[in-house]
Amino acid sequence: MNTPRKPLQPRRSSAAENGAREAWVERAVALLDESARNLDAATLSRLNRARQTALAPRRRPRQAWLVGGSLAAAALALVIGVGLGHRVSSPTASPADAAGQDEIDALVGDDNPDLYENLEFYAWLNAQQQDGNG
Amino acid sequence: MLAGSIFMSGLDRMPDAPATPTDESPAIERFLRDVERRALRMAEFATGSREEGLDLVQDAMLGFVRNYAAKPSAEWSPLFWRVLDSRINDWHRRQRVRGRWLGWFERAAEDDEHDDPIATAPDPGEPGPLARLADSEAGVALEAALRALPLRQRQAFLLRLWEGLDVADTAAAMRCSEGSVKTHLSRALANLRNTLEKHR
Repeated sequence: MNTPRKPLQPRRSSAAENGAREAWVERAVALLDESARNLDAATLSRLNRARQTALAPRRRPRQAWLVGGSLAAAALALVIGVGLGHRVSSPTASPADAAGQDEIDALVGDDNPDLYENLEFYAWLNAQQQDGNG
Repeated sequence: MLAGSIFMSGLDRMPDAPATPTDESPAIERFLRDVERRALRMAEFATGSREEGLDLVQDAMLGFVRNYAAKPSAEWSPLFWRVLDSRINDWHRRQRVRGRWLGWFERAAEDDEHDDPIATAPDPGEPGPLARLADSEAGVALEAALRALPLRQRQAFLLRLWEGLDVADTAAAMRCSEGSVKTHLSRALANLRNTLEKHR
């Protein structure tokens, strides 16, 4: 089956420079175009991968910028977090903050007076439970 | 703008190509997409193998992007074909060395000094060797004839007449003089014509 043929349109050459081209050359060019147009899907996929691989180094600077930006943002967040934490525990904190910190210290601190005052009671209670179990 | 205009001829020649570039595509990607199929066929003719051809095209794309992507887009075409031509020559050189060691010989002779282009010049009034063949037969015959050509003649034919480079750009791509391009092309046409005559 004959396919319609398109004459070659040279990109750079003038018609005068090329001269009259023989018909069989025109047909040869059309056949070559046809062969390039009809490449199978697997080959086209590999060409696409080859192109992406070749272009990858040009895309890396943009990706590097993104990674660098993310790291900088994370570092900034860390600095802000540490700064806020330091501010909470610093002596220049506001009275409200200081009161809250005292309550926490009272609950979890080592010097809980109630625990110390009832220490003998807790020891007796523990001994009773062990006797009951034994 | 400029890149779009210089790639137009390739797209015109392949209106059915599914890989239509988009405006968002970088110009260099559009350029590679435009030339990659013809580059593969060219490398395939040179190596006789699609696998080898794909490797050469990928290598050429890598080399072109690494070394010439920053050049003005108007210069890309001869530079790309120059890189591919260089890869094809390297491949042939390796094959020759391998062949020397293994005692094999290349199919096509590189030296075609004995051809006489005037003696084999075609008659302009004659319809030509592909005239009476159906497209499928003509395609097979043409590929066989192209593969039988010496490397430089084949490159001159494909770059000059298929890719449409002018003599100066073809010479730049093949790293030879413009006179050599004309000689290689003339011999290529004569040899192709003679080979294809047998298929009539």
